Amino acid sequence: MPKRWIPPLMTLVVLALAGCAGPAEVFRDPNMDFGALHTVAIMPLANLTRESSAAERVRDVFTTKLLASGALYVIPPGEVARGISRVGISNPVAPSTEELTKVAGVIKADAVITGTVKEYGEVRSGSSAANSISLSFQLLETQTGRVVWSASTTMGGIGITDRLFGGGGEPMNDITERAVNDAIKKLFQ
Amino acid sequence: MPSKSSFSSLVAGLLVLLVAGCAPWHRAAWTGDKAGNAEGVVAILPLQNLSGGSAPLAELKQEFARRLALRGMAILPEAQLEQFMTRHRLRYVGGIDATTAQALRRETGAQGVLVTQLELYRTPFPPRIALTSRLVTTEDTPRIVRMESVALSGDDAPGLLGVGLVDKPREVTDRALRLLAEALTGGEPQPPPRVSLGSDSVYLARPLDPGRSYRVTVLPFYDKGSHGYAGEILALHFIGELVRQGRFQVVEPGTVREDLLRYRIIMEDGVSLADAELLFGMLSTDLILSGEVNDYQDLQGAQASPKVDFSALLLERSSRRAVWSMGDHRTGMDRVRFFDIGRIATASALATGMVHQAIAESLGR
Repeated sequence: MPKRWIPPLMTLVVLALAGCAGPAEVFRDPNMDFGALHTVAIMPLANLTRESSAAERVRDVFTTKLLASGALYVIPPGEVARGISRVGISNPVAPSTEELTKVAGVIKADAVITGTVKEYGEVRSGSSAANSISLSFQLLETQTGRVVWSASTTMGGIGITDRLFGGGGEPMNDITERAVNDAIKKLFQ
Repeated sequence: MPSKSSFSSLVAGLLVLLVAGCAPWHRAAWTGDKAGNAEGVVAILPLQNLSGGSAPLAELKQEFARRLALRGMAILPEAQLEQFMTRHRLRYVGGIDATTAQALRRETGAQGVLVTQLELYRTPFPPRIALTSRLVTTEDTPRIVRMESVALSGDDAPGLLGVGLVDKPREVTDRALRLLAEALTGGEPQPPPRVSLGSDSVYLARPLDPGRSYRVTVLPFYDKGSHGYAGEILALHFIGELVRQGRFQVVEPGTVREDLLRYRIIMEDGVSLADAELLFGMLSTDLILSGEVNDYQDLQGAQASPKVDFSALLLERSSRRAVWSMGDHRTGMDRVRFFDIGRIATASALATGMVHQAIAESLGR
């Protein structure tokens, strides 16, 4: 290969690799001492999908997985519901800072997690179909109501094998677990 | 050509087997408890139908009672039980509360009550049935002595070229009732099917004290799916497994229901600590188990695979915190790698396996 081809080739490789880089999906407040958090409450998640039970399902999986990680104590959903009802939060999926501080005081939480289910279910492209999930979570510190961690994750979707051979992709539950595990990994990284 | 001596030994062997086959069934009287010191009459309540469809409940009960009687259980006459139920306007047959249990003992002499739930009943091929039954004493505080369940499908063991398939509902039903009757009267219970849970499906804050016996209240699970009775069915599976573990004294669900109704406790999004506080005091219990069912499906058809998805939470009285939690979803085909080996045909059997695996591994002795 002639030597004069090397610089343009290298430039092409660098450009191609740069194109593969995804957007940053995690925010961590560098001033926050995450070690001081012991108890968290997971608020009901916002549901932007057509599947009515998607938010509850994801919240259930997230609660179990976060508790099973052993790093944080998650307040039982029934107790969170009592706190929401006692404080009188009209829209629990997007509480105001004031509501957040109040509810955290009632249920004795160090932090509150809110989130959104943006995509849940089957996606189609041409004749191919596969299950997909897209989630985002925020961790809010209850004393000031500041967002100290935020992450989003997307799993599933139509891959090359789905396009070539069909098959419908992975089951929804498996994708949900993978997405939740990914979000938890981003919280502890 | 076999020799004379080998031929005669073969004939002798066959005769022995034939004679053994004619032997009367083993009769094991209900002993009330493992110590065998409280033999008594048992009232068999009508079956509670949790299957979501129609089923010949009266016939099933009659056949079940017959099988139990053959096993030596002394059964309260049907007419006497009916009179008692009419007198006390007893309509709920899914459990027994303390007042009714005492009245039953006083008025009929029954020392035990058999509460049976029909979880599944399908007659189209493959026929399927799932039953859960528990023996409860009629003491001042009703106590669950034994609890067993059975779930069978006509295609549980299809065998080579489908020779093991059972297409007659009667055969499946008879076998299920026989197995359940045997398990309740001292026979060997059905082993739970093997299910592999995910490694991050179970949370245990700390191991329970191995030398201590715990009193547990199991609340009906919140059913988020479309089954309608899945919450009650999952709660029954947990009760059964906790009873079998031996270290837990489970509060009779009839007593729990009575107290929930009396104090008008409604738990829309799970049990709160305030509700738990009330229940800990009312029922004198150390632990409260509650949960949610996201999916519980028994799809019909030879290739259909059941799905079960639930989460459970155990609250402790002393710390007022969740000490154990689990959540997982499984299908009947999860362990299948080769020719349907390891397939689980019913949601009931799948739930039994999941609950057994989760409890035996983390809460067992």
